[in-house]
Amino acid sequence: MNLKKQLYEGLLTKNPVTVQLLGMCSTMAITTSLFNGLGMGAAVTIILTCSNILISALRKFIPNEIRIAAYVTIIAGFVTIVDLAIQAFLPELSTSLGVFIPLIVVNCIILGRAEAFASKNTVLASTLDGIFQGIGYTVALTIVCVIRELLGSGTFGGGLLNGGEGIRVIPQQYPAMLLVMPVGGFLVLGCVIAGSQWLMKHLEMKNKKKEAAK
Amino acid sequence: MKTESTLRYVLRLTLTLLVITSVVAVALAGVNSVTAPRIAQQQAEKTLQAIQAVLPGGGESIPFQDDTGMVSQVYQGEQGYAVQVAPPGFKGEIVMMVGVDNQGAVLGISIISHSETAGLGDIAAADSAAGEAFRGQFAGASGNIAVTKDGGGIDAITNATITSRAVCAGVSAALECVANLG
Repeated sequence: MNLKKQLYEGLLTKNPVTVQLLGMCSTMAITTSLFNGLGMGAAVTIILTCSNILISALRKFIPNEIRIAAYVTIIAGFVTIVDLAIQAFLPELSTSLGVFIPLIVVNCIILGRAEAFASKNTVLASTLDGIFQGIGYTVALTIVCVIRELLGSGTFGGGLLNGGEGIRVIPQQYPAMLLVMPVGGFLVLGCVIAGSQWLMKHLEMKNKKKEAAK
Repeated sequence: MKTESTLRYVLRLTLTLLVITSVVAVALAGVNSVTAPRIAQQQAEKTLQAIQAVLPGGGESIPFQDDTGMVSQVYQGEQGYAVQVAPPGFKGEIVMMVGVDNQGAVLGISIISHSETAGLGDIAAADSAAGEAFRGQFAGASGNIAVTKDGGGIDAITNATITSRAVCAGVSAALECVANLG
């Protein structure tokens, strides 16, 4: 029951990107190809889950007064490990995500979940929270990526399919460059947030009707 | 709440944080010892590819003299030289390899790493037609390397004049360095 609720919250009602509006910096900056979105999503999910596990395991050991310093140290540790691993084993991803991997340290999603969830809940619940919030972030990021890439560069699956070129959907001269620029990031994110709000309202209405019918 | 002396309180906070930071430091040292050689190898491979791209047949590292402060390595091969330069771009250094033939003309350029603006300055390094067209202009060039705005013969990338100027400055530095080699 709790599992389903946490998944639903991570994906929709408490989605880190579209509802909590956390991690905007990375959302704006790297969502220009499918490869970037999935890579960043995976990196954040791994770091978020690891730091959630460790922080909730240590929640009785860390004194309240220094908790932020302790959390940031733990998060920075995991981020650096992931950063080094990506540089060593996935150099292409490291080239395209550049400085945004080290910047996960100050990504509010991780510190936000540590403070709001992991520091108050059991290790198991925090693990699930990390995974589901991470999936929610990845899904939102991927949707923004696909839209921006399709309309901005005219391709699908850039950096991943068709030898890294991506599958061309719109001929080269037509795509709107604007969408690849930061402005386009804001525009697309706004539309995605509106879409998720509509979906939430829609599902809520459906539930109410169901209850009324009972 | 149970009472605790100030000394004990301060010690408890300090030691807790000390333990956490020490454990994280040890873990990072462990990871670094595994990844450092691989990262160094990746970089060496990237440099090697860049040399091959601008100097057919590759080359060996040789000592050099540099007045511009941009040159970091010079490799000598049969057909000429490959010079690694790092001119300051719009955001940080643009690390690139410039091939120069024995007559002092540019063979080609290859950008190894940069942090230029996505969609504008990064065209200089992109594998796209526009990127190749920009880099292609340097092949065969010699003498005064500059963008048309500055009286040279290189068409700058639209909306990325600073990046284009930086690439020109890098190529000029490479030519000067090779000229000094004699």
